[in-house]
Amino acid sequence: MSAGFWEILALLVLVGTGIAVVRLQNAVHAALALIANFLVVAGVYVALEARFVAMVQIIVYAGAIVVLFLFVIMLLSAASANVGADFLPRLPWVAGLGALALAGVLTFAVTRFQPPAGAPALGGGLPQALGPLLYDPEKWLYALLVVGFLLLVATVAAVVLIEPERIIAATGHPAHPRQEKKPNPPIAEQKDERAVVKR
Amino acid sequence: MIWLVASALLFSIGAYGALTRRTAILVFLSIELMLNAAALSLISFSKLSGSLDAQVVVLFIIAIAAAEVAVGLGLIVAIFRRRETTSVDELRQLRG
Repeated sequence: MSAGFWEILALLVLVGTGIAVVRLQNAVHAALALIANFLVVAGVYVALEARFVAMVQIIVYAGAIVVLFLFVIMLLSAASANVGADFLPRLPWVAGLGALALAGVLTFAVTRFQPPAGAPALGGGLPQALGPLLYDPEKWLYALLVVGFLLLVATVAAVVLIEPERIIAATGHPAHPRQEKKPNPPIAEQKDERAVVKR
Repeated sequence: MIWLVASALLFSIGAYGALTRRTAILVFLSIELMLNAAALSLISFSKLSGSLDAQVVVLFIIAIAAAEVAVGLGLIVAIFRRRETTSVDELRQLRG
C-alpha cells in the first residue's frame, strides 16, 4: 500500500512523541508528549473510519486519563523524579535491543496479514453503526455490563486506597485503634440524650 | 498498511519505556502507550477486514485503561505516602 505525505508525517510524529514519552526526564513533559501522541492517534482513527472511537479517545484518553496522570505527577513531584541507582547498569541497552527485536517481529507479523477480499463498509464508525453491536445481547451487551461494573469497582477501590483511615472511621470498623478510643454512640442513645437536653 | 507498522513501533517504544523508567508513574505512562498501540492495531485491522467488532473492543480497552489508571494512581499515591518513594527499584519487598 502506497503511503502519502500525511501518513508518513503522522507516522513520524507518532514515533517521535512516543520516544519523547519514554525518554524525557521531566515527567510533565512526558505526559504532555503522551497527550500529543493520543491526539495524533485520534486523527488516525478518523482516517480509518472510527470516528466515535476517535472522539472517545480524545475525551477519555487525552482528556481524562492523562489529566489524571498530570494531576498525580504534580501532586507528588518528588515521586516522579527519575532518581535511584540502576540495578542492572546495562538495562537501557538490553531493553533497547529487546524493543528493536520486538518491533521487528511485530512488523513482520502485521505485514503478513492478508485482508479478506470484499470487506463490508464500516459506516464511518459512527454511533449508529456501533450502538446495535454494543447493545446486542448476542454480541457485546454482557461484556459492556461487566466493563461498567469493573469501572464502578475500580472507582470505589481508588477511593478506599487513597484514604483507608477515613473509610474505616466512617464505617465504624472495630479493628481501628482510633475507633476503639471513642466509639460512636448508638443512634438510640443519641436520641435519649437529645430528649434529656430538651427537658 | 502503514498504521499496523506504526502500532508495532509504538508498542515496542512503550515496552522499552516500561523496562527502563525508574519511577512507577512513568512506567505507567509507558504502559498507556502500549495499550494505545494495541488499540491502534485493532482499529487498523477493523478497517482492513471491515468488521466493527474491533472498534467495540477498542472502546472496552479505553474503559479498562481508565479503571486501571484510577486504581494504579491510587496505589502509587498510597505507596508514596507510606514510603516516600515510588522508585520501582526500591519497592521490591514482594520479590520471591
